[in-house]
Amino acid sequence: MSAPPAVLVRDLVFAYDREAVLRGATFTVQVGSFAALIGPNGAGKSTLLRVLLGLLRPGSGVVQVFGGPPGDRSRPIGYVPQRVRLPAGFPLSVAEVVLMGRYGKLGLLHRPKTADRVHVAEALVRVGMGEQASRRFSELSGGQQQRVLIARALVGEPLLLLLDEPTAGLDPAVRARFYALVCDLQHSHGLTVLCASHDLEVLSEHADRLVLLDGDVRADGPPSVVLESAALARAYAFPAPHDHTAIP
Amino acid sequence: MTDFLAYGFVQRALITGALLGVSCAVLAFFVVLRRMAFIGVGISHAALGGVALGVVLGISPMLAATVFSVGVAWVIGWIAAHGRISEDTAIGVFFPTAMALGVALISLSPTYRQDLMGYLFGNILSIRPADVWILAALAAVSLGILALFFKEFLFLGVDEEAARAAGIPAEALRYLLLTVLAVTVVASMKLVGIVLMSAFLVIPAATGQAVARSTHGMLTVAVVSSLVSVVGGLWLSWLWNLPSGASIVLLAAALFFAAFLAGRRRGR
Repeated sequence: MSAPPAVLVRDLVFAYDREAVLRGATFTVQVGSFAALIGPNGAGKSTLLRVLLGLLRPGSGVVQVFGGPPGDRSRPIGYVPQRVRLPAGFPLSVAEVVLMGRYGKLGLLHRPKTADRVHVAEALVRVGMGEQASRRFSELSGGQQQRVLIARALVGEPLLLLLDEPTAGLDPAVRARFYALVCDLQHSHGLTVLCASHDLEVLSEHADRLVLLDGDVRADGPPSVVLESAALARAYAFPAPHDHTAIP
Repeated sequence: MTDFLAYGFVQRALITGALLGVSCAVLAFFVVLRRMAFIGVGISHAALGGVALGVVLGISPMLAATVFSVGVAWVIGWIAAHGRISEDTAIGVFFPTAMALGVALISLSPTYRQDLMGYLFGNILSIRPADVWILAALAAVSLGILALFFKEFLFLGVDEEAARAAGIPAEALRYLLLTVLAVTVVASMKLVGIVLMSAFLVIPAATGQAVARSTHGMLTVAVVSSLVSVVGGLWLSWLWNLPSGASIVLLAAALFFAAFLAGRRRGR
């Protein structure tokens, strides 16, 4: 019997109150692959990630993470949000932010030990922030903060990394370096990566697959195929690459 | 100063004030981190409604204020999490409503008006010997809860979604923090007063933030400045016959401005 995929989503329906956001989404992400979840604003990308994290309960459909239910702590998921906003000047250090990634493993009432701090130092080195451990998180640039949040996800020793528009508001060069780092970590740690983003160009360089979501899955395949699809043009309401009849 | 320390009511106020000052300072750390300053205002003012209810119902005003404030805190927390209105709007509804209830009920009980100023602005004379143990126990329990769940409250304050994804019980801990906030507010009511209590839930942490370079430093400065404010404020209150709440908060504010200027000078 073959191993289950890292992520299995079948006929997933989810609604906030009565407004359906996900309407029968179906796709899988294979273990060790890098899949990018793309789609216009309101397509349900962040909602889908929250379902996979176990923060939202699906209305109907099947959702599995490594063959188990979402939110099962025996299969840790690393999560990188769009941004962490602290009150201005709050003196939280980079190391303290990363250490939070161990709290789920530690459990309630248990204090971090030396081994946890070693994990933090190693993770910071891995994301190229080893020298910044004692700096204030709020003093870092947006790109550096996102690297720190990757380190926070890594110290939880995840098998799956979920990223929710992690490069929103960052300049193109920083975005490119960020995704190159994610790709390196995917290969060096054998991670499965699912990243929700609008960065079509840069993601197409690193991701194995693009999953175009707009309530349901409109296209799913290698970047070269999805980027050329009419479904992408319809979802983002821009002319298809070879559709010369369309008026911009 | 030795005259000051010789009085029993001063000793009682100092003991309870020091304990409550420490728990308020640690609580203020989370109030600032979670941007809960307005909820502190709401809960402290709601306590007046609880005091008035206690008077009208003939039960302990402190007990009634505790139950009432915890109830208001939970309702605000529930509405903020599940309702269709924002947290600040919910506080904006409950804060004046509870206060208006308090004023209306107290106006029906004319004999009680003499104590009102004490509840509003603090009065160290109002701390009876029997109160010391109760207030000390409340402060110790609050402090114990904050210490036990410090890392969880910190994670939730920084990134609630990631904390929930890591299995931190966000909902339960939110209500626990609101309960600690409400209980601490009521416990500190006689010392600082309802009107000025919210300042005491922000200023010590703001003082720490102004000069500290780490969260531990911020907490240490917050606790020390809170203790200095309580002890110094009580002394000034005795010296100049001021309401204790006003002198404590004024001293806390003076320490904040000094810390703010010191922080700016060294480019923090």
